[in-house]
Order: sequence, then C-alpha cells, then structure tokens
Amino acid sequence: MHIVRKVTDNLYWIGANDHRLTLFENIHPIPEGVSYNSYLLLDKKAVMFDTVDWDGCRQMMENLEFVLDGRELDTVVVNHWEPDHAASLQVVLNRYPKAEIISTEKGFMLMKQFGFHADGHKTITVKEGDKTCFGEHTVTYLEAPMVHWPEAMVTLDLTNGALFSADAFGSFKALDGKLFNDEVDYDRDWIDSNRRYLTNIVGKYGPHIRKLLNKAAPVLDQIKFICPLHGLVWRNNLDYLLDKYTHWASYEPEVKGVMIVYASMYGNTEQAAQAIAAKLAEEGIRNVSLFDVSSTHVSYLIAEVFRVSHVILASCTYNLGIFPPMLNFLEDMKALNVQNRVFALIENGSWAIRSGDLMYRFLDEEMKTITVLNERVTVASHLGENQEEDLGLLADAVADSLRG
Amino acid sequence: MQFKCTETHEKFREEIRAFAEAEIKPYAFQWDRENHFPGDVVRRMADNGWMGLPYPVKYGGAGKDILTYSIAVEELARVDAGTAVILSAHVSLGSWPIYAFGTEEQKMKYLVPLAKGEKLGAFGLTESNAGSDAGGTETTAVRDGDFYILNGEKIFITNGGEADTYVIFAVTTPGIGTKGISAFIVEKGWEGFTFGDHYDKMGIRSSATAQLIFQDVKVPKENLLGKEGAGFRIAMATLDGGRIGIASQALGIAQGAYESCMNYAKERVQFHKPIAFQQAIGFKIADMATRIRAARMLVYSAAELKQNGEPYGMEAAMAKQYASDAAVRISEEAVQIYGGNGYLRGMDVERMYRDAKITQIYEGTNEIMRVVISGHLLGKPPKKESAGAVQAESAGITGPRKKQIFKKGTAQERVDALVENLKADGYDFTVGIPADTPISKAERVVSAGRGIGDKGNMKLIRDLAEAAGAAIGSSRPVAETLQYVPMDRYVGMSGQKFRGNLYIACGISGAVQHLKGIIDASTIVAVNNNANAPIFKNCDYGIVGDVKEILPLLAKALDTGAKKPAPPMKRIRRAEPKKEKPSYKMMVCDGCGYEYDPVKGDPSADIAPGTPFEKLPDDWVCPECAEPKAHFQEA
Repeated sequence: MHIVRKVTDNLYWIGANDHRLTLFENIHPIPEGVSYNSYLLLDKKAVMFDTVDWDGCRQMMENLEFVLDGRELDTVVVNHWEPDHAASLQVVLNRYPKAEIISTEKGFMLMKQFGFHADGHKTITVKEGDKTCFGEHTVTYLEAPMVHWPEAMVTLDLTNGALFSADAFGSFKALDGKLFNDEVDYDRDWIDSNRRYLTNIVGKYGPHIRKLLNKAAPVLDQIKFICPLHGLVWRNNLDYLLDKYTHWASYEPEVKGVMIVYASMYGNTEQAAQAIAAKLAEEGIRNVSLFDVSSTHVSYLIAEVFRVSHVILASCTYNLGIFPPMLNFLEDMKALNVQNRVFALIENGSWAIRSGDLMYRFLDEEMKTITVLNERVTVASHLGENQEEDLGLLADAVADSLRG
Repeated sequence: MQFKCTETHEKFREEIRAFAEAEIKPYAFQWDRENHFPGDVVRRMADNGWMGLPYPVKYGGAGKDILTYSIAVEELARVDAGTAVILSAHVSLGSWPIYAFGTEEQKMKYLVPLAKGEKLGAFGLTESNAGSDAGGTETTAVRDGDFYILNGEKIFITNGGEADTYVIFAVTTPGIGTKGISAFIVEKGWEGFTFGDHYDKMGIRSSATAQLIFQDVKVPKENLLGKEGAGFRIAMATLDGGRIGIASQALGIAQGAYESCMNYAKERVQFHKPIAFQQAIGFKIADMATRIRAARMLVYSAAELKQNGEPYGMEAAMAKQYASDAAVRISEEAVQIYGGNGYLRGMDVERMYRDAKITQIYEGTNEIMRVVISGHLLGKPPKKESAGAVQAESAGITGPRKKQIFKKGTAQERVDALVENLKADGYDFTVGIPADTPISKAERVVSAGRGIGDKGNMKLIRDLAEAAGAAIGSSRPVAETLQYVPMDRYVGMSGQKFRGNLYIACGISGAVQHLKGIIDASTIVAVNNNANAPIFKNCDYGIVGDVKEILPLLAKALDTGAKKPAPPMKRIRRAEPKKEKPSYKMMVCDGCGYEYDPVKGDPSADIAPGTPFEKLPDDWVCPECAEPKAHFQEA
C-alpha cells in the first residue's frame, strides 16, 4: 500500500518512516523513530530526488510506482550518497533501466565506492550553479560540502521554490502521517529532536553550514518549501528555523541557562551536583537541567550543550583520570566543535583528586574558546557541611557570569 | 709565527697595567662594597685615549687594533672586572654598531664623542622575555611622521643610567619575529626615557647595570641604525665582537686570581714549606696557568681575525666560552688555595670569584656560545625554520587578569572608578588587618616598589595601607637595597608569597620574580607612572599615574575611619576574563572537515608550527583528503 503526501502541485513525498531502528548511524538512540524522505516531481520528465534507507525501500517503491502510475522514471537527482538515503538507489535503477542519474563528481565517486551498478544509466555530473530543465521546472544546484558529507549538494527548484536540502534542516523523529511543520507543535514536540539531530550529526561542520546559509541568503525569498531528507517539510515560519541554525552553526547558545552533568560512582558526586543545582535555584536561576552522564546518552548531552550557555561538570576521579563516560562527553564536545561556553567544575576523589585539573586542561587546551570559572568545588569523597561557602561561591560565580 | 704580542702591544700593556695598579686596584674593594661607579677613572681613561682604542682617528678613536683593545680590557679586569666591563660595553656594544652600521652623519654625531670618551655608550637588547631569544623582543617602535615612538623596557643593561648614548633594539614590524626588529640610537635625557632599578649584583659591582624604560620616547627617524628590520643582524654582529671583550675580561679575571693566589701560596707555610710546593697546590697552579695560556691564545686569535677582516664569530664564541669557564674555575681554585682567608670579604680572590660568574652568563650564555659554535660547524638543522608568525597567546605571569586600566578623566575620577570596581567585587573597607600582619597570612597588602621614590614617601604607603585595612609589603629592592621595610616583608619568588585577596602594587614595575609571588592574589591593583610596566599586563585594575598623586587620593577614598577587625578571610572571587577566539585564522577543509591549525603547522608536509594558512605553499593539499588549498574556508 502506498503512503504518499503531496508537497505541492506535481511534487510528492514518497519516503518512509522507521520506528524499528534503535540506533541512528548505529550510535544515536531514536526512541521516536526517524523518517527517510524521498520526493518525486512529475514534469515532462519524472524526477526523483534521493531515495531512502534500505529499511524503507519497499515502502518507497510502492509509493514511487503509485505516483508514477505506469510512467517511466526519467531522472534521479542524488543530493547525498549516505546509505540512509542512497541505499535503495540500486532497486530504483533496476526497476527503471532508462533513468539517468544527476550528482556531483564526488557523488559519483562515492557511488562507485559503495558498489552501485549504474551500467547503462546515463550519469550527469553537475557543479555549483548548473541548471537543468525538466519541462516546466528548472532546478539549480548548490554545492554543500560537509553538510554533512563532502559530496553533498542541495537542489533548488526555481519554478516552485522547493529546496531539496539533503541533510540540512533534517531532524530525528518519524513523521507518523504528518508532513509539514505547521501540522505539529514544533517548538513543543520537535525542536529537541531537530537539535539533537543537527548538533550530533553535523555539529562539527558549523563553518560549512554557515557557508551554505550564506549561499542561500540571496535566494531566500525564492524558497517556498524546504524539503530535507529527514523530518518535516517547512513551508512557513522559515525564520524560526534559520535562527536556530544560525545559533547552532556559529556555536552560540540559544538561551542563557545551565546544564549540570555529573559522573558519580556512589552518589557522592551526584549529591554535589544536586547541591549546586539547589543553590542555583535559590539564586533565582530558572533554566537549569541536570544529567547523569552514565545513564544519559551523550547525544542528549550534546544537544543540551548546544542549547545553553553554561555547563557545570561534576566528576569523580577514576584510575587517576576523568570518569570515562565524562571523558567521552568531553571528547564528543571537542569532536563536535562546541565552543563559546562558560564551564564550572566540581571534582571528587578519595585519595588523589585529579578530575578537576584534568577537565580544566581538556576544556582549556583541547577545546576552543571555553571560559572556565576559577571557582571550583573540590570534594574529598563526600561533601562536608563546611563546604557550603564553596558551593555558594561557585553558584555566585555561575550566576554572575550568566547575568553578566 | 711566534704566537706572541708585538713589542708595541706589550708596551701598551705595561702602560695600562701601571694605571690599573695605581688608580683602580687600591679602590676595587671599596667600589665593590659600595656599588660605586668609578666615573672619574672612566674620565681619566678617556684622557688617555683608551675609550675608542680600535676606532679610526678620524672618528675620534686611537686608531689601534682590536688586540690592543682586548689587552686593555684584560688588564683592567686583572684588577677590577667591573671597570673592565664599563670599557667593554662602551667600545664593543655601545660604539661598534654605530661604527659598523651607522651613516656618516650618525658616526660624526655619535661615534666621535663616544670614541673620544666624552660620552659613554650602552647597548639595549635584553628584555624580560627576550634573553637568549631576541625573537621575544616586546619593545616597540612605531613610525609617526618624522619620528619613531619607542615603548617598552630593557633589563640588565650595562652602563645603564651612566651612559649618554644607547643603541636600542625594538620591534618595528610585529608578528614576524626577529626580522621585524630594528636598531635605534637613543640619547639619555630624551623625554619618556627613564631608568628603573639599579641592580644589586653578585659581582662586577663597580659597573652600573640598570633597567631602561621607554614611554612614548620620540626617536627622530634619522636615528634608525641601518635599515628597518636589520636590527637582529646588527645585534648579532655586535655581540660577536662583544664576546672578544667579555673573553678578554674573563681572561683578566683569571690572570688576576692566578697571580694573587700564587703569591699567597708562595708565602703561606704549612707542614714546614710554602703550600705552593705541596703537590696538591702546585698542580692547581699548573692547571691554572695552562688554562690561562689556552684562553689567551683563543682570545688574541679571535681579536686578530677580527682585525684582519676575517670571519671571527665562531672563534669569538669559543674564546668567550672557554675563557669564562676558565675564569670561574681558576677563581674558585684561587679561593681554595687561600683557604679560610679567601672566603672573607675584602680578599681580591673572593671578589674575583663573584665577578667571574657573570662572564659565563652575559653577552650570550655559554650555552648559547655552544649553539653559535655548533651552528657554525653544522649549519642549520634540516627542519625548516619556523615561520614564527603565529603563536598561541599566553596569559601573563599572574594568569588571566582583567587588565582594566583606568586612563580616562582626572586622577580623582580614575581613583573613584577603581574604588567602585573594588567595592563591586565585594571588598569591604570598613574592616581591616594590622599593617604588620605576616604577608603570607594577610588578606590585603599594599606594597611599595622603587617607584615610591624617597623614603619619606613611605608615609603614602602607610596611609594607604591603613585606609585600605591592609598590611604593608614591598618589592625586593625596597627591602633589600633601600631598606625601607624589613626583609621579611618583600613579596616575590624568593620572598614572601601573597595568598590573600587584594594586592595593591604601588610603583612596582613587575619583575618576573615579584609577579610569581602574587599569582594567587584574587585581585591585583597597579599604580605606576610607566604605562609599559609589566605589572599592567598582570593586574586586574591599573592606574597609570604618579604614586605621589594617586596614593593620597586612593587613601582618602578608602578611608572609613578606624577599621573594625576583619572577620576570618573569605576568598574574593577572582573573575576570569572571557576566553577570546585566537587572533589567527583556523581554516577548515571542504573535503573532509580537517582543520588547519597554524600553531601546529602540518608536520606531514614539513610545514613548521607557526605557519599561517596564507603562507602555505600553493601546492599544499589537505593532509587528510588531498583537497587543494583553495577548498578551505575559515572555521
């Protein structure tokens, strides 16, 4: 049975939803699933924009055949060759032997590397600014290197204003029948998934997202639909989305707020984290969240650190080093280019308290533009009653920095 | 080839030795004890025509050779190494760069009076962060119309304060390392050119050594020595020659110590015979004489090479290194031969032992001498020279500080702004601690530096300390040399460490050793009339101004009458400045996301650390994915 939604005249969503996959890229949990979006334009030529993951292949093929309704498929535009979008291409090619393929030079290189057999299919290599006319519709291509692979491009339909944006503007979370951003309460139900997708998948490539946004700026008024490869299609309120993207891509916090992340073996460091959270609340700081690094998947922590301005790390010392899950969080922040944040530290240890110095060194030397507050609470095994002043100083420092 | 000096040279030696024995030797102990600069002796040497020995007569010199000059330094050092270095710094360092690199006009104007001895010369290269590595030079000279505006500080400058003419090295093009350094002739007395600490040295105490301070000093453009950017070359060439002077000085010290202890050993009788004839002592004397002869050959040979216009840099370095090591060794053994007597102040060998040490250190440490010598022998290491332009920024010695300097408005307004900030930081000036609280236990300290001036001005410090509820501290020279406060009140690496909240540094320039004593301070306030003083790069708040004007205003502003006793110290928060993005560009690859970090360079392509992206060769490609340079963009 087909499940198809119309985007606009002659343009259809023919993708698939996936709730059975537990780990996206075999790393990020997706408890609310994910969608693989594929689109079909019916013009003089029938043009498909990207395919779907292998898991969604059958659904997509049913959709494709339904919309084509016996027509030949003339063209497949492959904006992005990552297997969650391109995996089903071979089935499409086998079914439609006359289909030609449009992609970038690097895209065709990846096609070969991934072992697609395109013999007999015409391949058309395009580059920045090239145009193709499919009848009524003319599209142009913008290269989008490292958003989120080097071969990626986005395609803008100059006739109806649909931007096939590849992984840009994508999100976790299955569509479950919805298609457009105005069919959901985005700020309540979607933005967290969107943030977690963007920051974890493309967080490292902020400069490249900024480059793409700059390229898109002159043609922004021509864009009527943003059609990403995951998540909802945007047809209004684009400023909301662009504002979020601008913050994420420039590594600026969305809000003034504090996340407390603790690494605790027996609850003693956790207690310090709770104590500082209480102090902050007493100081009148409202936007505070608290996470156990051992039981929270790091992708959630990354999303939150992109959201807020301040981070308190509380870690026990483990094997004379940083508690491994905390170190993993630090490494992930470094890998994803987290910067322009203020950090404060709580350290714990029972014989050699090392975690504070080590976390400081990591933040100061390994990461970019991270301010670490001088105040540090040092816990020897268990927080003593006499350490209230220390906690107060740390809370004051965070509060001052937050307000300053 | 006879390896001995000509009769003319020996005659000259006799002449200057007679002068040294009569005019210097009897006073050397006193000068050493009193840190006395023998200005009258320098004038008499000028009268004798010895202040410009190796320079042509037409430039006011004596028209003698380098060896004659070398002998002069040696003979002076034989009786007093301090006097010897006055001559050496004047001739080799202060005068020679003008002789070698100056225009005809510059020579007539500056070299002639120097060579005649009417003026004294000095050479200013060393800075706190530019010792062996001149690339760290921070003094700047900024072109402004017909002038260069000179700002910065030089330390450990021989003849500093006494000299009239200074050859000063300053950065004219920042960011390109030693190639951006230029040399200037600067006259004593120019506005903004002042002298800081006169160092209290271990040895060569009859020579003057001071800090030079340049604050917006206007140097006429015609005083640029050589071309812009040629400064480093001029400095290195000058030091090559200077090393012959220092080698001669070391040789003289060795000779003097050797003669002295040999005489003693021949007189001192133990076990029924002069100790010289105890084999233990006789062997020492034999070794000394051997070393001295070897040193002399090296020194004279370098002088001869220079005289004949042959390359002499390596040989001068060998002579300096060997002669100075010999001087230290020989003077040490001389003290040993004197036994307990040699350990007493007033014995010449005791002074020579202290004097000798500096010859291993200055005008290039002996470690650097080995760098020079091996460099001549081996050439440059195979690795490419660092492009040197990009360096990770480092914090000041006291760590990250606010560095908020109050410049605008009247003195009163600046003081008010300071007090307002201190109160906002949480300082309560209604409470206080006794002025004699030990520094290490004090919550607040008001500290005096040399800039406080006369002892009478210490009242300003006492008043401010009382008003601020603080204990009194000082820089090292104020306790040690000026003795305004007891020795246990000076703050620094070698003195007391301040671990409290508020440190108010008054007239303290901020020598490294002082700053290391206040690293833990929550807040550092600096009051100093020299805007370039390092203390301002290491403080939270600063007021550029005269302590005599600022301190009374500050005392008044903080005065709340009698202070209540301070409660147990509560640490004031030390606000850290927001970490800024580095000033250099990071570039990121379109093909893979690799980031080019200029601080690290690209070892896989032999790109030296410090190479900015723009300076990468055109054919350089991404080390990870081989994308061309053009496919990079700013991160």
